[in-house]
Amino acid sequence: MDNALKTKSLTLGYRERIVINDLSLELPEGKVTAILGPNGCGKSTLLRALARLMTPLSGTITLGSDDIFAIDTRALARRLAILPQAPRAPEGITISDLVRRGRSPWRGLLAPWSAADAEACARALNDVGLADMADRPLDELSGGQRQRAWIALILAQDTSYLLLDEPTTWLDLTHQLEVLSLLRDRNQHHGATVITVLHDLNLAARFSDHLVLLGSDGLVAVGPPEQVLTADNLHKAFGLSALVMADPVTGAPMVVPR
Amino acid sequence: MTRSIILAAVLLFAILLSLMIGQVMLSPATLWAGLSTGQGPAALTIRVLRGPGIATAVGAGAVLGLSGTIFQILLRNPLAAPDVMGFTSGAGLAVIFGVMAGLALPTPVLAALGGSAAAIVVAVLSLRRDGSQTTITLILVGLGVGFFTAAAGSFILTRLPPQEAAEAQRWLSGSLAARNWGHVAQVFGVGAVLTLVLVIQSRSLALLELGDDLAKGLGLRADRAKWGLSATGVLLAATGVAVAGPVPFVALMAGPLGARVTRARHPAARLAAAAVTGATITVLADLAARASIPGLQLPVGVMTGIFGAPYLLWLLAREIETGDL
Amino acid sequence: MRAATGLALVFGVAVFLTLAVGVRTASLAEIWNALVAFDPANATHVTIQSIRLPRLVAGLIAGASLGVAGTVMQALTRNPLADPGLLGVNSGASFAIVLGALIFGRSDAGLMSALAFPGAALASIAVFALGGGLRGETGHVRLALAGTALNALLLSLVSAIVMARSETLEVFRFWVAGSLSQASQRPLSAMALVTIVGIGLSLALAPRIEALSLGSALARGLGTRPARIQLGALAAVTLMTGAAVSVAGPIAFLGLMVPPLARRICGHALRLELIASAMLGASILLLADTAGRLVLAPAEVRVGIMTALIGTPVFIWIARRLKPGAAS
Repeated sequence: MDNALKTKSLTLGYRERIVINDLSLELPEGKVTAILGPNGCGKSTLLRALARLMTPLSGTITLGSDDIFAIDTRALARRLAILPQAPRAPEGITISDLVRRGRSPWRGLLAPWSAADAEACARALNDVGLADMADRPLDELSGGQRQRAWIALILAQDTSYLLLDEPTTWLDLTHQLEVLSLLRDRNQHHGATVITVLHDLNLAARFSDHLVLLGSDGLVAVGPPEQVLTADNLHKAFGLSALVMADPVTGAPMVVPR
Repeated sequence: MTRSIILAAVLLFAILLSLMIGQVMLSPATLWAGLSTGQGPAALTIRVLRGPGIATAVGAGAVLGLSGTIFQILLRNPLAAPDVMGFTSGAGLAVIFGVMAGLALPTPVLAALGGSAAAIVVAVLSLRRDGSQTTITLILVGLGVGFFTAAAGSFILTRLPPQEAAEAQRWLSGSLAARNWGHVAQVFGVGAVLTLVLVIQSRSLALLELGDDLAKGLGLRADRAKWGLSATGVLLAATGVAVAGPVPFVALMAGPLGARVTRARHPAARLAAAAVTGATITVLADLAARASIPGLQLPVGVMTGIFGAPYLLWLLAREIETGDL
Repeated sequence: MRAATGLALVFGVAVFLTLAVGVRTASLAEIWNALVAFDPANATHVTIQSIRLPRLVAGLIAGASLGVAGTVMQALTRNPLADPGLLGVNSGASFAIVLGALIFGRSDAGLMSALAFPGAALASIAVFALGGGLRGETGHVRLALAGTALNALLLSLVSAIVMARSETLEVFRFWVAGSLSQASQRPLSAMALVTIVGIGLSLALAPRIEALSLGSALARGLGTRPARIQLGALAAVTLMTGAAVSVAGPIAFLGLMVPPLARRICGHALRLELIASAMLGASILLLADTAGRLVLAPAEVRVGIMTALIGTPVFIWIARRLKPGAAS
């Protein structure tokens, strides 16, 4: 069944400023896609629109054959999950309490906590490797662990789409690799479609199947990393003069600024 | 769990203490006789003199505590309470105004109208041009509305004949004098209905705690939920004001103190703790107000003011330390 | 220059209206005669001399004091919501007066003034300190909340005392009128002197306060001594607000409304702003008082209520325009 996320002639903006203009894009199902670009080019705005957190000025966004705005809020939450930038947790909340809230779209108003819910949470905690720390408060964890807990939350949501806005920006390199590997695993073993906004071009190239490169004037390139990360495109998008070579470890394109 | 039981026990103890202490002191034995048999010297005290006032204190304290906690969770700030933001004083003003203008509306309705009007004014005036609202602006605008209602209240007091003015003045500081079982029925009845609504809404609160975006991503109609919770919060505050006047600081203190004692995390647990704590604070404040100066019944609001203000100052100092303000 | 002329005009009108308006309206000529060629048989002359003139003087003292005090406070704390009335001045005075009545059992005007003064001073210092002032961290919400909290505390205590001892209630009601109507019974000449000293001190300190506004670290680098200047400014503020409360009772919001207007008239030279604030404060207060006498004539809406009703929208307007994240 076609469950692809597509935009058509999408225009997004705020009061005085158009941020994305007339963008038509298809985000490939079952792949890991990274949205890249300089500050202010609209990466987060685009992601938020895809998650229906913003109303477009014009154009449409469809998930499969449905207009995203026509889907019931909870039904959408069962198909698509979003982890916003720098989420703030209530004071003292434990990991398991946090992850439990991810089951919300599946639970009716008065529905009791079911076995299926418990299972989903256990699986999510296992997948992120925090199963033995479930009762610890979130604020006691390291940055990487905390981010993994937030990811467990959206994993418990059991959706086929995972959208993450800058999930690695405040983490050190080890933790960045941790988080991105986790997402990649989710894609490979569960077939989840992962769409992230990332700052780091090289990490994006290493962990993604598909890149969307935005520049200040709009879309610069779309496609597999080798196709998108070219010296030419980088110059167009970032004004950057760089060399692109093959990463000696993974073979993915690696950007080295001049 | 044990901590919650302790909290409930403290409330019970406070109620019993309050029943025993007053112009006429009752011994525990007499009190027990009065409660169990409905006869004896204590019976009158319980049934008419102290019982209704104490029961009203429990009810008003509970709904005020709930109201404060709702806003504190929604706005993610321990300073965001209906008494700081002018809602309770708006409710109080509406009641006084209604009395002066001779409006034939029942007190709870006046309080609800006043509280809602104040809340709407604060919400609207805090909107920035881009449609966002910051908590700081809400608090400041709320303080402004509070000043305004105080001035308007002063003005109304000058227009009332001296006897009524004195009574109105008492009521405006929060008073449990001359309560009857009708008041009790009112606060518990309306309070129960609103609490039921709140129980249904508490899950939304748990999601909103994670931030609007994530809440929406998890399937919540966030804006609708926020309006609904705010409405419940305002109406709960109005219910308290309708029977006890705009008692200050209970809504502010109940939530944080209750959470601290019971170590509650989830919004539902925090709300329950706040209700019990609010009731306890109000009962004890009422006891202090009745019994501290022999022969004189102070309004309960004076006591909550004397204890609540230092609490606010302490909270302020702490927020300055942690840089949260 | 045009703005300054406008201000002088407004000031003149305010003074005139205070003397002219009332049950017996007076013309400019009559006022002149009442002052210069007083005729005890003329009812209008008597009204002007015995009722309106004291009112005018009280209004000048209170208005100028509060205007200047507000400007100094805002310059010192860089907080546009700093207003002496909101900073506990009034509740401090009330508390001191009621406490005095309780302890001394007397209620003569002299004692009341003597008490209002330190009460106001201590309360405003307390609020300043509690709001983070000693560490130079008076964020907007902090000061406002500290003021609210202290007000609540002091007024609760006042209520308690007043209800416990009804003789104190009489004293309280008399003093806490927030009105210029009892002006003739207040120590006008003494307070006028105090006000002049306060304003003089503020003018003297003005350039150093301006240096402070660069931030205390930078200022120290320029050779100024922040702590001393703060103390001096606070002393001036307490003198002035104490005087204002003594003659007119609780009046809030003048210190809030005046500084932004003064700045608009005079630009950013603090000395000029202070002079403008004095005139502006006096004008606004006198005009508010006159309006209060007219609005519900023959009854009077006390000027304290008028300034609150006008001042609150101003407070809210300023609060809305504060930039997010700008704590001080």
